[in-house]
Amino acid sequence: MKTIRLFPLELRRLLSSRFTWLVSGLTALSPLLGFTLYKPADSTTMLSLFLANPSLAGGAAGGILFGLLTVYELDKAGRSRVEVLTDAAVSPLTTALTRLLALTAAALLTLAAVMVIWLPISQSRIGSVFDGTDYVFAYLLFMGLALPLAILAAAAAYQFTRRMDLSLVLFAAFAFLSLTVWADDWQLCWLNPSVWAMSDDFSNFRLFRSVAYMRLTWLAALAGIWTLSYLCIRRFGKGLLGSLMLGVRRIYRPAIALALLACSVTAWAFQPFYDQSNPDLSAMTLDTLETADGVTCSGRAADVRPDLALGTVQGTATYQFQNTSGQERTVSFGIDPGYSITSAQANGKDVSAVLTGYQESNMALLEITIPADRDIELVLEYGGLPKDWNIMSTMQGEPELSPKYLCLESQNMAPYLLNVAAPEDTGVFPAVIDITLPEHMTVIPFGPSDAEILEQHEDGTLTWRYETSGPGSILYAGDYVREDIQAGGVTVQFYYGRKHQTIMEQAKAAEAVREVIEYCTEHYGSPSFAATGSLKLIQSRVAGGGYATTGASLLDEADFTANNLESAEKGAIPGEVMIHELVHQWWGLGNMFDDSDTASPWSSEGLTVYTTYRIVKDLYGEDYAKEHYVDQWQTAVDDYYQNFYVRNPEYLSSLPEEEQLRISNSLATMRRYSEMPLMILKAEQLAGGEDAMDQILYNLFNRELDWSYPYLTYQEFLDACGLTEEDLSLA
Amino acid sequence: MRKIFFYEWKRLIWNKFFFGLLLVLLFYGWQVLTGRTLLGVSHTAPFSPWSFGDYVSRMLPLLWIGTLFFLTFFTSPKARRAAVLTDAAPMSPGRYALARCGAALAGCVLLVLACLAEAAVFYGWYFQWYAWQTLIFPALLTLLPPLVFALGSGWLLGRARPWLLYAWMLVPFLWNVLPLPEVFGLWNGAFFTEYPLTLDTPDPSFSVPAALLAVQALLLAAGAALLALKPRKASDAAEARERSRLIS
Repeated sequence: MKTIRLFPLELRRLLSSRFTWLVSGLTALSPLLGFTLYKPADSTTMLSLFLANPSLAGGAAGGILFGLLTVYELDKAGRSRVEVLTDAAVSPLTTALTRLLALTAAALLTLAAVMVIWLPISQSRIGSVFDGTDYVFAYLLFMGLALPLAILAAAAAYQFTRRMDLSLVLFAAFAFLSLTVWADDWQLCWLNPSVWAMSDDFSNFRLFRSVAYMRLTWLAALAGIWTLSYLCIRRFGKGLLGSLMLGVRRIYRPAIALALLACSVTAWAFQPFYDQSNPDLSAMTLDTLETADGVTCSGRAADVRPDLALGTVQGTATYQFQNTSGQERTVSFGIDPGYSITSAQANGKDVSAVLTGYQESNMALLEITIPADRDIELVLEYGGLPKDWNIMSTMQGEPELSPKYLCLESQNMAPYLLNVAAPEDTGVFPAVIDITLPEHMTVIPFGPSDAEILEQHEDGTLTWRYETSGPGSILYAGDYVREDIQAGGVTVQFYYGRKHQTIMEQAKAAEAVREVIEYCTEHYGSPSFAATGSLKLIQSRVAGGGYATTGASLLDEADFTANNLESAEKGAIPGEVMIHELVHQWWGLGNMFDDSDTASPWSSEGLTVYTTYRIVKDLYGEDYAKEHYVDQWQTAVDDYYQNFYVRNPEYLSSLPEEEQLRISNSLATMRRYSEMPLMILKAEQLAGGEDAMDQILYNLFNRELDWSYPYLTYQEFLDACGLTEEDLSLA
Repeated sequence: MRKIFFYEWKRLIWNKFFFGLLLVLLFYGWQVLTGRTLLGVSHTAPFSPWSFGDYVSRMLPLLWIGTLFFLTFFTSPKARRAAVLTDAAPMSPGRYALARCGAALAGCVLLVLACLAEAAVFYGWYFQWYAWQTLIFPALLTLLPPLVFALGSGWLLGRARPWLLYAWMLVPFLWNVLPLPEVFGLWNGAFFTEYPLTLDTPDPSFSVPAALLAVQALLLAAGAALLALKPRKASDAAEARERSRLIS
């Protein structure tokens, strides 16, 4: 009660201090740093540039400033030598709590002022893709929660040490660690959350959830530490231990501290956002599982029911098996590591579903023993919050499931069958997917098939159905518009976010798509999708990359942003992810590559990256292409081969296992995306220039296929160029 | 003078600030060593002068702050109140100040040695590498000039206005954030990560361009000059104000 009575007085005292106003004023200005000196979000979306960066800068600078203010205020009584008097009037414990509340209130008032001041500025800079919800959440989470965390940390440091100098050093080191060494660890960077991009066109709830989770984990930890320090507040002339002994007499106080610390440790250990996949990216355990002998799968179906408010998925998956072995067999599935199996029934009887604990490539291995019956219908009920692959923890934001956007990929959608083949006569097994979503969302299967409305519900949702084949499928849904583009003799169904319509029109995106398709058709021949007559080009939420499959390619939303439009360097046609993924329709899908040897640099990526470079060179000029492609490849190759541990592998074992794997994992990426394009560029020079290489690639693309092994091999490429492996060596 | 030096030195290091600071430095240093230095910078070994230089330049902000905090022992209002007594010592104020600065420098050297010892333990532990003598020059080049400058400038600022010392503590954070010209690369550590890449060998031996050496020499000279500045009679205006407040 006394704390409540004293709180307005303390707050008034605090607000009458000039230093408080200085700190508040500087905090209000600190988002400016996000435009100039501190830009952790490196994507070019408008929200990354003009909302994420300013609010992150505001959080880091404001947190440091409020930490300093906290130490200054807590030391004030001691500095002014009135502590004896104030302690006689009010218990130092009450004073500490009141000060903490007053400082937090001052921080909240400052945050409110910041949000009001920066609203019109953000609106004007972000333009048509400004979103009030994103604005509020970004400032509350990226900036707002940094302030109480800093106050708690600084106050705890002071209450433990009772020295301004030592608590300032402690706080500085704690803040500096977050800004430097811990910056790449999404759970450790308490002051500056790991945010690399925000989506302009769709939603950012997954990103907000993981940042909020990190902040709340730290809030519990620092509140626990602060409560411990509260018990150490010096009283009755006693030292730290004497005061602690006094403090713990009321058992609820240490109990609260321990409960808070236990909460934070539990939240830390059982975070629900990232999986525990094997960090060795060359691991192939799930791809090389023993096949279930005598078992085939003749079809599967899934009824998927995402909860878009919670970002979770519930579903029922049904599999039709034929077991000719006459024995029980173990079938293996890869499921999203965030999902659990709530029920597994084979022919109506419960069977045990065992999650082995092994995770690889964002899949948890699930094993189910099916009975010896000849025909089996296996029904699995599953659900949970999808987890992202742990290697993506510095690129938070996926998988996003919200009323504005949804992307479900393979194991996120339904358990992915790993060790059962399709019947020999069909080769593939059919799949029917039903999904229930709000009626305003457009459902786009990532592939040639189209979704149809199956049922309309009274709650404003629709159940969509589409047919596909194989063990997995990918689905996009959201507030999309579709534009049909005629190019290369086919229709491109171009799907992009409604909020992006103006930008797409200004960027002449349709023209860019047409140019790329016509370039490739002219240089290499008709695309793989020419037979079906259509291709889907789908804009994804900002992801830093994309992928392609037969009849569909992705386009990253960062390909076309208002900021890119202003770039004189790129002219009016940006969209390099779009170009790359469209080129995959020729190299990778039109002409297939054998990717089974992960150590080999020869894959569809080499020719795709090279072709992207050629298109970019045509569109933006030689200088741009050299700087952003050839030089980047060379840097990546040099970086790898000059790495100390690559040159001195005897020292590699000194590194922590994850660092050892990071270096070995980077090899495959570097060789396929940088070394091979450089080698193809060298081949172009040796073969007689661009025209000669175009002719070689045209011939290879249109060669007679050997259907027993239809892949384009490195040797075929070398033979076509009249070169040997040694000729293309970069050493 | 030696007596005063040892008295002040003991006062600086025999207290919980020094030990707390030492612990913070060691914890931070270990995080840097295992999180960054272990990987090596600019394709060089973790125990190369370049990687080691990167480590010490990352430690510099905390060492700078620690050095300035040592000075607060002599410039704080509390110390000023005691100056009435200490100034009565049979020694010129200049020599007294020199003894104090020497004590602060010695405290700072202890902290630096702790950081270097931690790096030595790290190198021995992880790589069984003990050629420490190759690291002396980068350590001296990176740490000595800014820390002497911190001492000199801090001494001057602290005597003018004690709170200026606290503002001065933010300087290394600023130079870490600001895009400084290359010639100041040793201040924010950019030199250690960028310069080796310009040398066309995989493991370049340690070398420093003359311009950077000159900047460090100037910084060292400026720090020494500031230390050598004679204090005004009756210490300075702030001290005089403090005294008049006490008298009234």
